[in-house]
Amino acid sequence: MKRIALVKKQDTEIPTASTADIAFLLIIFFMLTTVFRSEFGLKITLPTAEATERIMKRRNVAHVWLDKAGRTSINDNLLDIPSVISIARDKISDNPDLIMVVRADKESEYGRVNDVLEALKEASALKITFATEFEYK
Amino acid sequence: MKLRQTEQKKTKIPTASMGDIAFLIIIFFMTTSIFSREKGLKIVLPEKGSEVKIKSENILTIAVNPQGEVLIKDKIVTVPELKDIVKTELATNPDLVIALRVSRTAPYKTMIDVFDELKLAKAEKISLVPVKEGS
Repeated sequence: MKRIALVKKQDTEIPTASTADIAFLLIIFFMLTTVFRSEFGLKITLPTAEATERIMKRRNVAHVWLDKAGRTSINDNLLDIPSVISIARDKISDNPDLIMVVRADKESEYGRVNDVLEALKEASALKITFATEFEYK
Repeated sequence: MKLRQTEQKKTKIPTASMGDIAFLIIIFFMTTSIFSREKGLKIVLPEKGSEVKIKSENILTIAVNPQGEVLIKDKIVTVPELKDIVKTELATNPDLVIALRVSRTAPYKTMIDVFDELKLAKAEKISLVPVKEGS
C-alpha cells in the first residue's frame, strides 16, 4: 500500500524586520532633498512659454516678485528700486553663483521689469531667469 | 529554608511599530517637500560698463509698442511668425545680435512671448534694450 505523504501546511511570513531600516533610509533622502518654502511672495500669475527650462540648483536661487500693481518684493518685504540694488548686492556677495528669478505677473507693465533688471545689473546680479510656466501646444 | 530565586528580567524594546513611525515621518516629508518648481527662461545680463559696439548690420531690432504689437524693421508681425523670421535671419548672418526693445507700458506677457520665440529660434545673442522713463 502506498503511503501518501501528509501535506504540511506551510507557514508563510513576510520578513518585516528590515522595513524600518528601509523607511529610515527614505526619510534621510527626503530630509536631505527638502527645502522648506521660505517666502510667500506676491500673488501673481506667471506667463507661459514653450522654451521653459528647469533650474536644477534650487539652493542657488533668489526670487524677485513683481505684481500687477507694480509692487516689488524680495523675502516678503515690499521694496523700491534702490533697496532692490542693495539687497541684491548683499545676496550676490554671499553667493556669487546666485540666479535671480524674476517672478513677474503677466499683466504687469514691462517698464517695472526693466527697472528691476537695471537694478540687478547695477548689483552685478547677472544670471537672470524669467519665471514662466510650461506651455503645451 | 528556601530562598526565592531572583528571576532575571529580559528587557526588550518593542520595535514592531518603528516602521510605522518611520513611514509616518516619510509621509510628512513627502507632502512638505517641493520638487524643483523653479523653471523659466534664462538670460545672462551684460556687466555694467561692458557695453560693446556692434556693427549696425549685425543688429536685428525687434520692437514691442505700448499696444503690444511686435515690429521688425517697422513692419508689424505676429508672434508665431517671429520664429521663422529670426531663423532665416540667423541663417543668413550667424553673428546677428537680436535687440529687443520693449516699450515701458507694453505688457510683460508680450515681451515673454517674443523672448520665447527667440529662444525657440535658437537665438543665442539676445540683448534687452533698457528703456528710460519717458522714452
